[in-house]
Amino acid sequence: MNENTLKLDNPLSQLGFETDSLITPGQMGAICARAGIGKTSFLVQIGLYAMARGQKVLHISLDEPVTKINIWYREMFNLMAPKNGITMINQAWDTIISNRLIMTLKLDGFSVPRLEERLADLIEQDIFKPDTLVVDGFPFEKCDRCLLKDLKILVEKMGMNVWFTVNTHRHEPPDQDGYPVQLTGMSDLFNTVIQLISEKKIVDLQILKGQVDSEKAASLFIDTDTMLISA
Amino acid sequence: MKNDLSKVRNIGISAHIDSGKTTLTERILFYTNRIHAIHDVKGKDGVGAVMDSMELEKERGITIASAATFCEWKDNEINIIDTPGHVDFTIEVERSLRVLDGAILVLCSVSGVQSQSITVDNQMKRYNVPCIAFINKCDRSGANPYRVITQLKEKLGHNPLALQIPVGLEDKHNGVIDLLTMKALYFDGKNGENIIEEDIPKELLDEATSKREELIETASLFSDELTEAILEEAEITPGLIIEAVRRGTIQRKLTPVLMGSAYKNKGVQPLLDAVSRYLPAPYDIQNDALDMDNNEKPVVLKSDSNEKTVALAFKLEDGHYGQLTYIRVYQGAIKKGDTVINTKNGRKVKIGRVVRMHAAEMEDIEMVPAGYIGALFGIECASGDTFTDPSINLSMLSMFVPAPVISLAVKPKDNKSQINMSKALSRFTKEDPTFKTHIDPETNETIIEGMGELHLEVYVERMFREYKAEVETGKPRVAYRETITQRAEYDYVHKKQTGGSGQYAKVMGFIEPIEDEHFIFENKVTGGRIPTNYIPACEKGFTLCMNKGPKMEYPVTGVKVTLTDGAFHAVDSSDMAFQTAARGAFIEAYLKAKPVIHEPIMKVEIETPTEFQGNCMGLINQRRGMILGSQDEGVMCRIEAQVPLSEMFGFSTILRSNTQGKAQFTMEFCMYKQVPQMVAEALIKAAQDEKKK
Repeated sequence: MNENTLKLDNPLSQLGFETDSLITPGQMGAICARAGIGKTSFLVQIGLYAMARGQKVLHISLDEPVTKINIWYREMFNLMAPKNGITMINQAWDTIISNRLIMTLKLDGFSVPRLEERLADLIEQDIFKPDTLVVDGFPFEKCDRCLLKDLKILVEKMGMNVWFTVNTHRHEPPDQDGYPVQLTGMSDLFNTVIQLISEKKIVDLQILKGQVDSEKAASLFIDTDTMLISA
Repeated sequence: MKNDLSKVRNIGISAHIDSGKTTLTERILFYTNRIHAIHDVKGKDGVGAVMDSMELEKERGITIASAATFCEWKDNEINIIDTPGHVDFTIEVERSLRVLDGAILVLCSVSGVQSQSITVDNQMKRYNVPCIAFINKCDRSGANPYRVITQLKEKLGHNPLALQIPVGLEDKHNGVIDLLTMKALYFDGKNGENIIEEDIPKELLDEATSKREELIETASLFSDELTEAILEEAEITPGLIIEAVRRGTIQRKLTPVLMGSAYKNKGVQPLLDAVSRYLPAPYDIQNDALDMDNNEKPVVLKSDSNEKTVALAFKLEDGHYGQLTYIRVYQGAIKKGDTVINTKNGRKVKIGRVVRMHAAEMEDIEMVPAGYIGALFGIECASGDTFTDPSINLSMLSMFVPAPVISLAVKPKDNKSQINMSKALSRFTKEDPTFKTHIDPETNETIIEGMGELHLEVYVERMFREYKAEVETGKPRVAYRETITQRAEYDYVHKKQTGGSGQYAKVMGFIEPIEDEHFIFENKVTGGRIPTNYIPACEKGFTLCMNKGPKMEYPVTGVKVTLTDGAFHAVDSSDMAFQTAARGAFIEAYLKAKPVIHEPIMKVEIETPTEFQGNCMGLINQRRGMILGSQDEGVMCRIEAQVPLSEMFGFSTILRSNTQGKAQFTMEFCMYKQVPQMVAEALIKAAQDEKKK
């Protein structure tokens, strides 16, 4: 934890999980939705809330350039700030920006040993020691359980938690356990699974796994004008 | 001069440093018979490329000032501006793009789309300049034009359309296949001047056929005739494709891609064909001017030589022949003996010699018609000035000029150098709006300001080479600024009664920080507590304080001053009294408003082989830099970071030594940011020490 923190009201704390971050070190979480529903903006908000708590966030993208991801963060923060009573937005942004590093990797070159090597490089040289990884664009359809298992071992070893986006398709019904088919045979590796469902211009959050107290949980949705998670 | 506008092309050649644009220009001039021998950029043969007319450019192998030149290719008149590739000189690139109708974006087939290409591309987007891409250096080891095409799409967001495919790559690069005519083109002769057209080699036929299909499919989106021809399975002529591609290119929805190796004299002539086929003629592009008599209302200019003259001076040069002003005529014509008005100062200007430039040589002409680029002699003006017919008052859109971020004290070594230095500085400031100079009133030193270390270094060297002014330079100084971080109230009375008429003024209110604005003054005084005729004096008093902050004497920024109340005296109050009161109030409130120092932060991009990624990130970390991210690009990776300018001095040497010379970087100004407490304390201490001296 470092001193670069900011007070942001995190709606995810109302979801009835053990922690505001929904997962703890060594755990994996997944955000599932069809294309265009708002997975990346959700992931970015998870990243921003973690950054505000003073956690170091490493955003790994497998398809978007650094500049574009940076814009995502900045735009979401600009929308969040006024709702949290922040007037000097640039100053507030400067407080937390050093808590984030973006890394874009080539899809074909992605492997756990390679990631481990990069992480070791960052940590050993005291450049950046991530607490949270957010991975956007991970190819679940092409990956096998082994790769994900190795990744889980890595994050457990390094004491990080990791979030993924999972791209689902309209025509594919969920598997027998109720998870998107992309997670079939792998859902046990995830501690939290959240699905974003779009119906009649509203995007609702459906918790598939990880909730401790569903009775006390508030129902959250995504404001489609701003893409902000709202209660 | 033929004066057939449909055959005129005003183009620029833009690219990352060392992509080979000067070599390419040299080849273009050779094939268009403007020069009769080819020389290397680095001047191994002691002559150097024609476009690099400044001695310094030849020595460093970079293009600094953009030389304008013209050539003819198959009846087309092409005006070329060779633009500098280094980011420190982007004002040159921007100025060139402002006057151009189209551009060739040169990309290296090995390095692909590099950071500088992205900067240049952004500039092209800002000025809506259509472009064609030339993938150069296909003969180099590791050449892969297809990867560059993908990068054009992914990194720059273009819609690239390959009009050719290469015949062999690396050391086997022999020529190109023209997908329009489905012929293989080889370049024979000592300098590749003989084009040999042959059938496509069998092994490339399938690839060429499928690429041609892709080409036709993409081009058909811009032409109904082509779509019809496809549907009716009629013959698809090159003419149909050319027309469709031209439309797409002018709308900036397509980027035709050509390839070759300028150094090995391959693929340059087809590129010239493409310039005349796909890039716009002057009338294809809409140019606006501002009507100064009508609240700066935009006026669309007509590329017609019979209309009233509107021309823009986009570059000044002080060469062997005296002062030369490069102009682009947008409307009407600039003729020898004509009188025009410089819109900026209303001065009448009589046109003397009119010339057409070919790098450092020139030819006299009678006039520069609409749509053309030319140069004038003996005109007193600054770059960016507009010349118009005396009966109209139009100004071309002002160009965005960033504020300088770095300064350097220069001291002439002797009296002769002093005189020459003044001449040089007066010329440079007129030529380059990002280069500024002033005399520090306290130290009496001459200060030069610019956009980066290299920018100033080049001017210091030019002073010596071109004006024989030997100067000593101080340490580069960063342009720090001050601002406040919280609201603070003021209640200040200025009262003086020392015989004669007294002075009395009272001001009350508060100052507060603002983001994204330099200074705002708000008057909330009611009931005539301060008569309205004194309010401008109050504002002036506060504004003057912004020039020199009370904390460190740096310029102040980001302050809103609100005046809420005050008092006056019927006899003793005056403008001067209120101005003094405002100054006193500002100082009183400023120190309560927790002032801080801001420093310029540069956007730094490093391209390095992946094995040095950690090293490079470490270097940024050591420099108080913030790493935004790293982008994996196969064997290379690109690190994007924001680093304080004060930490970047000498970075190129350090980067080279840490990466075996394999990494390169570019930087440009990004924003101002508060300096950390430790650094601020060091700055205060250094300032105090200097004062003691």
